[in-house]
Amino acid sequence: MSLTTGPAVPQAAVDKSPDSGGKSGRTRRGRRSLSKHNLTGWLFSTPFLVLFGVFMLFPIVATLLMSFTDFGARNVTRPLEAEFVGLDNYTQLFQDDKFLKALFNTAYFVVVGVPATIVLGLLAAILLNNGIDRARTLFRVGFYAPVVTTIVAVAVVWRFVLDPSDGLIASLASEVGLTAPDFLGSETWAMPSLITMAVWRNLGTVMVLCIAGLQAIPADVREAARLDGAGAWQELRGITVPLLRPTLLYATVITTIGYLNVFEEPFVMTQGGPSDSTLTVSLDMYREGFNFFHMGYASAMAYVLFVVIMGITVLQLRLLKDNTR
Amino acid sequence: MNRAVATGSIALTLASALTLTACGGSGGAGVAADAKQTLTVWAMGTEGEKLGDVAKEYEKSHSNIKVKITPIGWDVAHQKLVAAAAAGKLPDVMQMGGSYLGEFADMGVLEPVDTKTFREGDFFPAAWQQGSYDGKTYGVPWYVDTRVLFYRTDLATKAGIKKAPATMAELQSAAEAYQKKADTKWGLSIQPGGLDTVQSFYQFLYSAGGAVIDDNGKAVVNSDAAVKALENYGSYFDKGLSEKSVRPGYDVTKDFNSGAVPMFFGGPWITNLLDENYPDIKGKWAVAPVPADEASVSMAGGSSLAVSADSDHKAAAKELVSYLTGAKGQVDWFERTNDLPANTAAWKTGDLATDPTMQVWRKQMDTARATPSQPKLTEITSKVDTAIESVTQGKSSAKAALDKAQSEIEGLVQ
Repeated sequence: MSLTTGPAVPQAAVDKSPDSGGKSGRTRRGRRSLSKHNLTGWLFSTPFLVLFGVFMLFPIVATLLMSFTDFGARNVTRPLEAEFVGLDNYTQLFQDDKFLKALFNTAYFVVVGVPATIVLGLLAAILLNNGIDRARTLFRVGFYAPVVTTIVAVAVVWRFVLDPSDGLIASLASEVGLTAPDFLGSETWAMPSLITMAVWRNLGTVMVLCIAGLQAIPADVREAARLDGAGAWQELRGITVPLLRPTLLYATVITTIGYLNVFEEPFVMTQGGPSDSTLTVSLDMYREGFNFFHMGYASAMAYVLFVVIMGITVLQLRLLKDNTR
Repeated sequence: MNRAVATGSIALTLASALTLTACGGSGGAGVAADAKQTLTVWAMGTEGEKLGDVAKEYEKSHSNIKVKITPIGWDVAHQKLVAAAAAGKLPDVMQMGGSYLGEFADMGVLEPVDTKTFREGDFFPAAWQQGSYDGKTYGVPWYVDTRVLFYRTDLATKAGIKKAPATMAELQSAAEAYQKKADTKWGLSIQPGGLDTVQSFYQFLYSAGGAVIDDNGKAVVNSDAAVKALENYGSYFDKGLSEKSVRPGYDVTKDFNSGAVPMFFGGPWITNLLDENYPDIKGKWAVAPVPADEASVSMAGGSSLAVSADSDHKAAAKELVSYLTGAKGQVDWFERTNDLPANTAAWKTGDLATDPTMQVWRKQMDTARATPSQPKLTEITSKVDTAIESVTQGKSSAKAALDKAQSEIEGLVQ
């Protein structure tokens, strides 16, 4: 979680402290005046740098070091007694059925959840931008409300919706003579249920991004297309999606990162069950780290997740960006 | 630096060095019990909320002491305690859940209990055992908790059940009778899987004569008795007597009230919960001891009070702990919280001595069994949770599941 935001921050640190000294070919005088200039810059960025160092950089480095040790509960008071185990944690991870299952579950979440969130978010945006004229604000707020609601409140509502004995879906189903599946208690249904919940929670973010993007598309482009006889589908494919590409790329990347880190939904709804069918990497990491105190092992997990996220993000940026050219 | 400041700071350094040595040295107790001081106390859940009232009473009779209570939620308690232990900032006195003690004692952050002041014989054996680790005692039993059978008497009449099931065989036939004749949805509510399923299983395991870890700290979870217990447990799911669906946050009292669930194993706090939330069924339910297999043995839970190893207020902390765990303090605490006293002397007065429901708890506590303190207890029991789930979900036989758990647990016990 902290790792994903990590890489973005050093950039900000660089921006805030204009460090242009040290370039070759500068005169002595120039350098001196620059260093004075630098001092002010450093002074202003010190509070940030200190906070960044303590709360971001130090944990990131400490986690990396810890991932090469067997850091456990007793090392909390005696950290230096942790034993160096080299790459053992990493090799053990890939023989750990539970972790592999968590990796698979996380991939499942991303592969199903990301496209669903993007497509539904985009559709909601188009609908609100063009289709619904009345009560548009109400709908925007309605779609966005889940984004800003705390997960615990959301969980209460969704538990009621999904409850197999007297929940909303179960009651509706029995009205028409059907039996609803036991959503959270079945290994087949638990994951789709959580994904549905996550999509519902996150499509508002995508929608807001897309509405902003849609409003930047000049009206005359659409008008020209319509004059040429383009239907709604053609307009969507030929105009809206291509012009929204940068927005969609951004939305896809942040949604993917968010879903790779998915923790809250399984934590509050299923605790990873039944039979680990909703155990995600983040949840597994939390358990290993804070329930069992395998800090070294959990740190290794964090780094594996970090590498996976980094790899997928770079890949997405490459694939999706190149298409625009 | 002028001379006065220099002298002053040297003196200060020396003084603090001396104080520190005094604290760290053996036998040094820091501030005396009758000195003016503030005691910091952390307690969890309901205990944390109610302890504040007791602290006010305590301050009245101990004017030199201010007791500062910090209530912490059970969900964050473990993390907060570990973080505080790492930072050397544990409170003077803290509530220790039974499963935490081994871990913190192993970290070396708890002060051993003075067994001359606090005597083993004054408490339930299982409660005392929970405060011990590696042959030493680190926690004084504060309150205990065990599980007994809650059952609906009105539905029992309908189902033709004359008395509370006394054996495991009777328990299952009662479950069948409830379901068939009294038209209840389920027969018995036991947890099918998920976190701490083992607490539901202990009643079956211990009564059959099994255990997760024996008294010598050896893993014995795949013993014949344990396999038999898990087969019995699993049979409720095979026969549709218990709900297979795993629902985190499931509230059994709701279904008990509606009659969907006629029987379940519950702790002492359930009594209050039922009285407060479902007054309509008051008088229509009762409690009974755990049905016997080889014997009737329930799990023992509860909390102890521990003193931090680097507290400066050990003497006062000890006095506060003596008050809270003494017979008088325990009766007062029971009246405020309904927590069962760990001190057996407290059971000799009032409701505790006469109320028939209380006698069921009292009797169950005499034989109740605690899991030996282990630093990795949470992890150990999670392996048993997994084994139980694979049986209730019909994925594995009891024997295979427990063999697997046994091999995993062997590497975790100390």
